[in-house]
Amino acid sequence: MLAKRIQPMFFQARRLYVELMFQVMGRALQAVSEIDETVQQEANALPEGFLFEMMVMPDGARLIVEHTGNGRFRYLGDSAPRAVDLSIQFKHIAHAFLVLSFQEKTSVAFANDRMLVDGDISRAIRMTRILNRLEAFILPKLIAKRAVKEYPENIHLPEKLLNAARIYLKVATNFVETVKA
Amino acid sequence: MTDKFYEFFCPVKVIAGKAALEHIPYELSGLAAKRPMIITDKGVRAAGLLDPVVSACEESGLDIVSIYDDVPPDSSKAVVRDIAGIYRSEKCDSIIAVGGGSAIDTAKAVNILVSEGGDDIAKYSGAGVLKHPLKPFFVVPTTAGTGSEVTAVAVIADTEKHVKLPFTSSFLLPNAAIIDPRMTLTLPPHITAATAMDALTHATEAFTCMAKNPLSDAYATAAIKKITGNLLKVMDSPKDADGRLELAQASTMAGIAFSNSMVGLVHALGHATGAICHLPHGLCMSLYLPYVLEYNLETIREPLGELLLYLDGADVYAATPASRRAEAAISAIRRMRDALYKRCELPRTLKETGKVLESQLDDIARAALDDGAIMFNPKEVSLDDAKAVLARAWA
Repeated sequence: MLAKRIQPMFFQARRLYVELMFQVMGRALQAVSEIDETVQQEANALPEGFLFEMMVMPDGARLIVEHTGNGRFRYLGDSAPRAVDLSIQFKHIAHAFLVLSFQEKTSVAFANDRMLVDGDISRAIRMTRILNRLEAFILPKLIAKRAVKEYPENIHLPEKLLNAARIYLKVATNFVETVKA
Repeated sequence: MTDKFYEFFCPVKVIAGKAALEHIPYELSGLAAKRPMIITDKGVRAAGLLDPVVSACEESGLDIVSIYDDVPPDSSKAVVRDIAGIYRSEKCDSIIAVGGGSAIDTAKAVNILVSEGGDDIAKYSGAGVLKHPLKPFFVVPTTAGTGSEVTAVAVIADTEKHVKLPFTSSFLLPNAAIIDPRMTLTLPPHITAATAMDALTHATEAFTCMAKNPLSDAYATAAIKKITGNLLKVMDSPKDADGRLELAQASTMAGIAFSNSMVGLVHALGHATGAICHLPHGLCMSLYLPYVLEYNLETIREPLGELLLYLDGADVYAATPASRRAEAAISAIRRMRDALYKRCELPRTLKETGKVLESQLDDIARAALDDGAIMFNPKEVSLDDAKAVLARAWA
């Protein structure tokens, strides 16, 4: 009985969590592309104006970023100015929650068919590498190990802490600017 | 609560064995199809492999309305459009693909156009675009390796934009795969060897990569057992119809396994090598398999050790300590490659192919990193890792 009453609240909380995580990830993608050379090199292979989307099917939360050139991303929120070039789509909000709450690695989610790729697969692989690097920076190592296939050994603590601080600062600034606007 | 999850899907009716081709008319009639079109290539026709298919149908009063026998090795949008035009003008109502990967992929793409309408196959590229079942479609494989008869994908070249268009939908799967030993009896030795190693790689990667599951495991192990038990026998006695059938079935089983659990770094490197150096796919698989297994070793020690039973038999498995079985499995694959090299000079290293330059290895590594298969490799692969595997595979 109690479980039945709590269930709608759980669903609501899960939806809000996924929406919030998409907003953080979108801004963090923009931030990491401004400070990390490896991410810039990866992103630079994408065409200028390339639109990347992550979303929950059928019409749930989404994040959209644009490659503005020189390896830089810009977070566009949840609406795209034109048709996106690459979309990674979670089949259900429960699957997005598993990944975004670090209970299931992104690679495992792909292997488990939790997500569909609409667009060029090789670009999806590239974006996954970028997301992995972002997660390795902004998450504590113990949690990051649950999110990525293999935690990169070449990211050392001082670099990680410094980059994480810069990314979080940029994310926070972006949030404030969005609220002000 | 368990965190395990998998999906498994294979609705293809497999019709295998002696006089399997003669089941085609009955199976077509069961789908109300009366005017089939055959899609094949010149090599298949020249090898006389169309004759038993056509006569099996004609004997039952089923006329093959049209035969298109000009599918190129890398099929394109234009070829698909042309064949669809013939299908429509001849008022065909079903498709029989006879051939290897290219003929089968082309037939899958033609089936999209003739079922969904239009002339531009690019419109249907991507995953999950198709929403309805397509026309009746049968596949008669003439090689024992690709497993395309049980995969839900097709790749067609867009020669104008210089890209490969992928198509993914369960509706691409044929209604039936007809596995008849007559179709592979005349395969030359090096193609027999390379395609069988392709199937062995499908099964091995299916069993050791990230999306492995209990059902694909069963198909993968059964396929490996059939390949190791029959490949060398067939190499020594090419007219061994029973052995040929076993290899053809193994290929289909490995195809079912990998289409449900995907493949890994061997395929990523193989696709990149094929694109850059134009080496045949099966050869690339044979070449990279042991080196990639060595690279993945510590991540796949347990499943790879299990494969020793199917690669080398129960006696060797029982006599090998559990901690050494994974290495012994790799050794068994190396011995198989050595035996094939002795029989048909199937290259074991990139240098032995004579078609790869050492200066191309960096490009291959970079291309492999962007290949979709790399996502399912159990170990994360960096550019340096890929280069290291290639260096080991060089000579």
